[in-house]
Amino acid sequence: MDYTLSTVAPVVLLPFFAFVINAFIVKKFTKLAVAVSTGAIFVSFLYALRIFLDFLNVYSVGYNIHKTFTWFDLSTGSSIFKVNMGIYIDNMTSVMLLMVTGAATIIHIFSTWYMHDDPRFGRFFVYLSLFTSAMLGLVLSDNLLSVFIFWELMGFCSYSLIGFYYEKEGAGNASLKAFMTTRVGDVFFLLGILALWSVVGNVSFVDIYNAIGAGKFNNLYALGIPLATFAGFSIFMGTMGKSAQVPLQVWLPDAMWGPTPCSALIHAATMVAAGVYLSLRMYPLMELGHLLPFIAIIGAITAFGAATIALVQTDIKAVLAYSTISQLGYMVIGIGVGSYNASFMHLITHAVFKACLFLSAGSVIHSIHCQEMPQMGGLRKKLPYTFFAMLLCCFAIAGVPFFSGFVSKDRILGDALVMALAHPVYIPVALLGFAGAFLTAFYMFRMLFLTFFGEPRDHHIYEHAHHEHLGWNSNIPLLILSVFTLGLFYSGSFTGQGEVNLFGTKNEWFSTLIHRPDSNSLHHFAEYKSEEFGLVDTRDKVELPRAHFDESHGMSEKEAHHVHQIHKAGALASIFIAFMGIFLAYSMYVKRSIYPGWWTSTFSGWTRALKNKYYFDDLYVKKIIQGLLLPFNNLLAWFDMGIYDKYAVDGWEAVNRFAFNVSRWFDNNIIDSGMVDGTGASVNLMNAILRWIQSGKIQLYFVVLIVVLASYIWTIHI
Amino acid sequence: MINLGSYLIISFALFICGILVMVARKNIIAILLGIELILNASALNFVAYTKFMNNNLDGHIMSLFIIVTAAAEAAVGLGIVIRFFQLRESIHIDDAATLQN
Repeated sequence: MDYTLSTVAPVVLLPFFAFVINAFIVKKFTKLAVAVSTGAIFVSFLYALRIFLDFLNVYSVGYNIHKTFTWFDLSTGSSIFKVNMGIYIDNMTSVMLLMVTGAATIIHIFSTWYMHDDPRFGRFFVYLSLFTSAMLGLVLSDNLLSVFIFWELMGFCSYSLIGFYYEKEGAGNASLKAFMTTRVGDVFFLLGILALWSVVGNVSFVDIYNAIGAGKFNNLYALGIPLATFAGFSIFMGTMGKSAQVPLQVWLPDAMWGPTPCSALIHAATMVAAGVYLSLRMYPLMELGHLLPFIAIIGAITAFGAATIALVQTDIKAVLAYSTISQLGYMVIGIGVGSYNASFMHLITHAVFKACLFLSAGSVIHSIHCQEMPQMGGLRKKLPYTFFAMLLCCFAIAGVPFFSGFVSKDRILGDALVMALAHPVYIPVALLGFAGAFLTAFYMFRMLFLTFFGEPRDHHIYEHAHHEHLGWNSNIPLLILSVFTLGLFYSGSFTGQGEVNLFGTKNEWFSTLIHRPDSNSLHHFAEYKSEEFGLVDTRDKVELPRAHFDESHGMSEKEAHHVHQIHKAGALASIFIAFMGIFLAYSMYVKRSIYPGWWTSTFSGWTRALKNKYYFDDLYVKKIIQGLLLPFNNLLAWFDMGIYDKYAVDGWEAVNRFAFNVSRWFDNNIIDSGMVDGTGASVNLMNAILRWIQSGKIQLYFVVLIVVLASYIWTIHI
Repeated sequence: MINLGSYLIISFALFICGILVMVARKNIIAILLGIELILNASALNFVAYTKFMNNNLDGHIMSLFIIVTAAAEAAVGLGIVIRFFQLRESIHIDDAATLQN
């Protein structure tokens, strides 16, 4: 396990080389290009697996691989300006690498089936390869600058893949919308990087942690706010854009115009999770900047609001899009309430089950060529494997015990509950979180029941559903992913609470690997934490006494026990809530004992608001774009046309015209008439004289001869 | 009294007549005649100087040469004129200005 830059780089470079090669061969050798892409990502996966296993076997809390090289060095004398690039692999990176390569491999395989009759089959894989390499590069980056580079590269791939069916007008608009909306966040992100650079002189993660530990951020202010807050907020804005948090969530539902496998990879599993990953990396900064309550509230609003919008969606992919936003909201809540481990675990588990859900939805869409759930129904018999995979994933996302979503989401909600009891700011967070969990269970099973249960509502579509066309490369990926929705792969125990341990506590690899940035290296950070947020992640105490349960966290044994009790209560509550939601969906859409139309007619105003996505698009288009940006645009246009064009440009034209006239007069009169024509005239004159002399008349010559001779003689004589 | 001056006056008059004929007349044959006059004027000069200045025959011999030369020149000149007439159907001297322009 001796890693250097050159032994880790293939993880990123293989997909990248696949992209480069495919960009050239894709038109002629489409099949080969697809094989190259898939093979490259599979080899990357093997590399990532090896790295992961090494980290698991040779475990220690602070172990990391940090290799850098100097990208460019503009230092002159004492002023140092040096940009380093490099890789930084710690436990979190190794898990993330495994998740990204694994999900990407499975989605590549699925895409070979899903896209095979598409006219741009090969091009899709070109984009997928580029995207995967960018995502892996982001995960391996050791500094914020290269994170930003890969971040934008992913944004570009997302843009290209959303607009993949560019002949449809909606797809083109959606890709622009996604690009522009995330750009709002990216601008702030860049601002945050610059703010950090101004303090640390470098944006490497390790240096930022050290700077925080050394208290370099004390008493630094930018625009009147503490610099840590400013930088943390700016970076979190990047997360809000990329991970579709309120108020920048509007692009993700529109991103569903892209092909379904790209939605699974980019808009469910990896790219949108990259925002959360960034915030987790910058967790010490967020904490230093007192941003955690803000983050938690943003996450809670997103988690609940998106869940409510998902209630009224009829498009199967739109439901999944809103559930993605909602689940990302849970991850952000996890950051906000300080459950670092659980937030990251939810990132991983969500990536798996949401990728599986999207692939299942892709199977359904590809089989019946329709996305509207009211026209589906009864597909359970036609698509048994898809149904099985989707059922497991719905259990996972709804938070049914023994499934992965339960383990991770419940830990986040438990921590939210703990924080709510400790601090009133977090009470709405916990409430919205639990309410969102209820809605999640409801709308996911609504989707499942509408799609797979009941009688076929559109017989024409039902008859034409061709399940016999499903090959191995459509079903195997679904089944693999659905197996990994079981909670025991992540928690090592069935419940995730440590009660029913399957392999013993030692195998709770997730809690063992992932820790909040260690307080021992961040002294200042640890002090600060103990006074502001006394209650911290608790579970680790039971399993891993040495990491976070020293006295510096200010938590006694008694408190820890109290926290554990709250967690248990929260777990019971969320189990209850999940089954309530499932039961409600069952009675509405399968038993039909509760009529869904009653809700929409009784709360018609709310339904309309939900159908219009809380009027966010209207707000942005009418108020911000037309109300704010358009007048500003007009003002600028007026300045441009009325001031700049009229006076500067036209004035310059007048000056030029005058100079032109002067030089034209000079040219015509002096140069042309005087000098050029003068030369000609003088030659003409000489010519005329010579012509007169050389008349060709011999007698004249003779006279001249005589005159000359006579004058000679006369001269000599005198 | 016939002395050297009288010869020279005759010779000068002949010479001036020859020059005037050469300059004024447009007929090529007339110009040739003018040339003959000039040659004869010079031959007369030779004879006169021989007779009055020294008593050898150099001047006479020179005049004989001049007469021979004049005969040859008249033959060549008339040949040129005939060819010219065949070419231009004219013996006007200004028609022989084709090198101009």
